[in-house]
Amino acid sequence: MAGGSDAAETLSCARCSNPASLQCPKCVELKLPREGAAFCTQDCFKASWSSHKSVHLKAKLSSLGTDGAGGQNSDLASEGWLYCLRKGQSRTPKLPPFNWTGSLRPYPISVKRNVPAHIDKPDWANDGVPKVELNSDWQHRVEIKTPDQIERMRETCRIAREVLDAAARMIRPGVTTDEIDRVVHEATVAAGAYPSPLNYHFFPKSCCTSVNEVICHGIPDARKLEDGDIINVDVTVYYKGVHGDLNETYFVGNVDEASCKLVQCTYECLDKAISIVKPGVRFRDVGEVINRHASMSGLSVVKSYCGHGIGELFHCAPNIPHYGRNKAVGVMKAGQTFTIEPMINAGVWRDQMWPDGWTAVTADGKRSAQFEHTLLVTETGVEVLTARLPSSPDVFPWLNK
Amino acid sequence: MVDDQEEPPLAIRIDQTVEEPSQSDQEKHQNDYVSVGVTVITGYLGAGKSTLVNYILNAQHGKRIAVILNEFGEEIGVERAMINEGESGALVEEWVELANGCVCCTVKHSLVQALEQLVQMKKKLDHILLETTGLANPAPLASVLWLDDQLESSVKLDSIVTVVDAKNLRFQLNRHCDSSSFPEAFLQIAFADVVILNKVDLVSQEQSECALEELENEIHSINSLANIIRSIRCEVDLSQILNRQAYDATHATHLEALLEESKSLSSRDLHDSGVCTLCINQMEAVDLHKVRLWIEEILWDKKYGMDVYRCKGVLRVGNSDQLHTLQAVREIYEIVPTRQWRNEERQMNRIVFIGHNLDENILIDTFRGCI
Repeated sequence: MAGGSDAAETLSCARCSNPASLQCPKCVELKLPREGAAFCTQDCFKASWSSHKSVHLKAKLSSLGTDGAGGQNSDLASEGWLYCLRKGQSRTPKLPPFNWTGSLRPYPISVKRNVPAHIDKPDWANDGVPKVELNSDWQHRVEIKTPDQIERMRETCRIAREVLDAAARMIRPGVTTDEIDRVVHEATVAAGAYPSPLNYHFFPKSCCTSVNEVICHGIPDARKLEDGDIINVDVTVYYKGVHGDLNETYFVGNVDEASCKLVQCTYECLDKAISIVKPGVRFRDVGEVINRHASMSGLSVVKSYCGHGIGELFHCAPNIPHYGRNKAVGVMKAGQTFTIEPMINAGVWRDQMWPDGWTAVTADGKRSAQFEHTLLVTETGVEVLTARLPSSPDVFPWLNK
Repeated sequence: MVDDQEEPPLAIRIDQTVEEPSQSDQEKHQNDYVSVGVTVITGYLGAGKSTLVNYILNAQHGKRIAVILNEFGEEIGVERAMINEGESGALVEEWVELANGCVCCTVKHSLVQALEQLVQMKKKLDHILLETTGLANPAPLASVLWLDDQLESSVKLDSIVTVVDAKNLRFQLNRHCDSSSFPEAFLQIAFADVVILNKVDLVSQEQSECALEELENEIHSINSLANIIRSIRCEVDLSQILNRQAYDATHATHLEALLEESKSLSSRDLHDSGVCTLCINQMEAVDLHKVRLWIEEILWDKKYGMDVYRCKGVLRVGNSDQLHTLQAVREIYEIVPTRQWRNEERQMNRIVFIGHNLDENILIDTFRGCI
């Protein structure tokens, strides 16, 4: 595994703080973080052993489906909270086995939330299959939206922005991602809209919450946010027949400098990409811009997921890769609406999938950040339909400078 | 699960590469990625596709080859695939359940994801054959399988092989459809990298050599870049079918064929169908930006009403000592620097178009604007 970024770390002995060149083999086997498991000599390691080994026990217990606090998750199971499998088509009471890439684990998810009957729903709300979308000609051609569609999208994107802002205000240590999902769900329904992710290809929740090494499509669950986490919340709403899609990555409490840099760089990648959007620009150029900026900061770009056309369909043409040297077809034209949503990793670009069939994580367990907007190409440039409002919470320090 | 040990183990050095104690399928060390070639096999029912597949699986070649039989119909999607693995003659048939990839905002089509899963499941696969039933036009499949190098996928499109029936080919080509769509045979030949001219033994004995040559000329008049192999019962030399690397920009042999000046690549007589091959040449160096705009107008905007199916070429780019290759399948194209021009080579531009309603004059004139 390319260890470029590892070589730059200087670890200190967990016991005496001298420079460390040894690590606990059990921690390596269990894929636990190196920090706290590094030692300067065999003697320091031996001496720390009796207190250090509790880290292994905690990790093993949590992989058995119970946490250190003694069976919280089995309590949840009795209330109908179970682990998600097969993209949401089934549930299981036990944590599924997996070669976890980092220290994050899935937690049980709550029962399905209802959407009132009076709210207009997309076809997958009923049976999980987006039939219209799968068979649509707009998977192959890029639609030029009519003025009426554009006006509806402005309205819907505005609602999506307000829903995301409501979620952002919830972010603090101790809050579960399920509670964030509840806020998103309720805010969406209160606005008269449908939360697009709910039951989309069986996705079990109303938004995606992606913590730390999760790249995207994280499923809201019973895990409490911890001080130092980063979390992305991805909201899409369906209103007046069109979708609006955006996401932001937030800090939970006090976050280390590397994570700060990661999140800020990702924000800038999106910003720079948006700045080139106008009629005549090739879709493939978006990836070049993002790749250049990420590489300059020593970060990598996720390649498996891309920006997408959006409108009356949740996902349609064009496909917009975020990496460089791609063969994306076509140029931007006024009236097109699509998202750009770069996912940037602190370590390697490769992703892996959790057993739930949705959650994408970094292959090396290092952190990932993302930002997304829904954009409209105008005659002269671009309109950011999901832009921040004056009322949006002030959570990005670099915006104040 | 046993509780932690009483005795501390030995700490290990941090700069030792982290080795997984248990080899898992989720390999993280993918720096030197090896990808398995995928060959799409297409052709008329009865031309011998199944014969070819069976021959490949049964021949003693020592390769692990998986064959995927799939009904494509309207949609390209794979939910279950039948895998026939031939290894030293032993034929193993099994049905494989492939998890339906999510199409939302993923770069790789669910078919590609399914094939990658397959490669992961079956270690040491040497090749994959995609036998297409009911797919008249291989182009959408090629588009889906022709991945960006950047993705470092474990699968890559190797070539499209079309099996045609020597006895019935002429009949199939002469059929006139009332609708605007072509007889399948034209599309399948137009997109082929290799054409297997099968059942040559059934062509009338007296005139067989003449007749076969005529057929080959007809095939080349549709697609002059295709490599034609004659066969009986599809018994072909596998090295001519597998590992063609037809979509690999850096692969040498395709360039040699293009640069061979003596070879005439344009169609002699135009078919009634209008599907033909055209080759344009130009000596002067071109500007890469202009070439991109030019090819995009043709492929994306369908300017001049031309319908290009395939395009392959070498470019002499101004201010560069690199030979560049151009390759396109429908609207997807790429231009990449490939290698240095050799001293003995005559630096030039040479581009072959295979398609419908092609106009040689327009292509030559407009390409001149790229100088």
